[in-house]
Amino acid sequence: MIAFVSNAQQTEVQAAYTFLQQGDLDKSKAAIDAAVLHAETAEDAQAWYVRGFVYKEIYKQKEKTNKQSPMRLEALNSFKKSLSLDKSDENVQENVKNIKYLATTLFNDAKDCLDDVDYKIAIIDFDKFIEYYALVDSSPANIQQRKIEFNLAIASVYTKIFESDKQNKLEFLSLAKSTYAKVLDVEPNNISANYNMGILYYNQAVNLINQSDYDLDIVALSDIQDNSIKLFKESLPFMEKAYSLDPKRRETLLGLSGIYFSLNEFEKSNSFKMKLEEIEKQK
Amino acid sequence: MPILFVAVCAMVAPADQGEEANAKIKAIYIYNFTKYIEWPDEYKHGNFVVGVIGNNSALLGELNKMASTKTVGAQKFEIKSISSVADAAQCHIVYILNESSAQLPDVIGKTKGKSALIVTDKDGLATKGSAINFVIIENKQKIELNKSNIEKYKLKVAAQLVEMAVAVK
Repeated sequence: MIAFVSNAQQTEVQAAYTFLQQGDLDKSKAAIDAAVLHAETAEDAQAWYVRGFVYKEIYKQKEKTNKQSPMRLEALNSFKKSLSLDKSDENVQENVKNIKYLATTLFNDAKDCLDDVDYKIAIIDFDKFIEYYALVDSSPANIQQRKIEFNLAIASVYTKIFESDKQNKLEFLSLAKSTYAKVLDVEPNNISANYNMGILYYNQAVNLINQSDYDLDIVALSDIQDNSIKLFKESLPFMEKAYSLDPKRRETLLGLSGIYFSLNEFEKSNSFKMKLEEIEKQK
Repeated sequence: MPILFVAVCAMVAPADQGEEANAKIKAIYIYNFTKYIEWPDEYKHGNFVVGVIGNNSALLGELNKMASTKTVGAQKFEIKSISSVADAAQCHIVYILNESSAQLPDVIGKTKGKSALIVTDKDGLATKGSAINFVIIENKQKIELNKSNIEKYKLKVAAQLVEMAVAVK
């Protein structure tokens, strides 16, 4: 904890800290909120640091299970403000430590919310995590990696939601595709994104056929085939890219075998099937 | 450093789905044959029998699903996996799968004088005695139709089906 410099308005700041140590969070909050509004301490790094600390404690004691905790965000904003006001090593170190802790809780909450019910909270928490994590980790590569991992995870949730009700949740298919596309924009050789994008198109094609009634006229069947062939062909480049990245991956070999079978290219389909059998024999 | 997300790949079995989708297309075609081809009156009683020569569980699955919801007029479908060519004589439609194509001459022999629609699945067989032959043209499942091989079995084929197929003489 930073040592207090004594002046008239620092009294409020010190009072806030004292109330905090006594466990009286309400009085602590009132004191520090007043302090940061006052002209003398509104731009004081120490005051904002204490505010961050107070709100962090309130979050820990009262809102730890709230995935959308407003107290947590106030704490983060306060530490961020303190960081911007004083770049001394000691101030930076203290604020970074606390921002890291709270950002990690955002990350963990985002992870916990990656399901078909709370996925929107996951997105909000993850975006906030990135916003504050960027303050404490200046490596763009790390930030990008986190974004890629999250996008892969959220795309998987979108896919699951679509698969649960293909007739009425079509927008989630588009969301899944656009999310994988976002990953591929920054990492064209991401094997998961390539494979899953391939599967999305493949499944879309297969669904088109499977949803057809046996009563379908031959002319209409021809149209269905045209549309499904188009989708199978859209899936191919992604699956072939996944194959080029890892030619021994079982799912990819199965995927390519399936796509070529669906395109009635049985020799190519069998060649991938045989490659898979070879690999499995070697295990 | 926070623990990484685990990106889960879609755990679908694409190869199985491909076989089922292809089988569905064939089942739709076969149902359409019953709409565009007419059997003689004496074949309009009892079950409408579709016999399959060869081994394809996906196809049999689709044909059985079709049979559970569709009929040919008042006739219920009966889908049979034929192990003896002699049984072909009892079928309204005999579908010889690609790997069993060598049995076409025997099937033709057993169905002589009957009204069986012989359907095959290998290039060239519409000129060797089958009535309808499944072919692949630009990745698409289509049919070749040999009108005389239909009519010689006292079957009547609608002009619309002839127009939608690739004609073979």
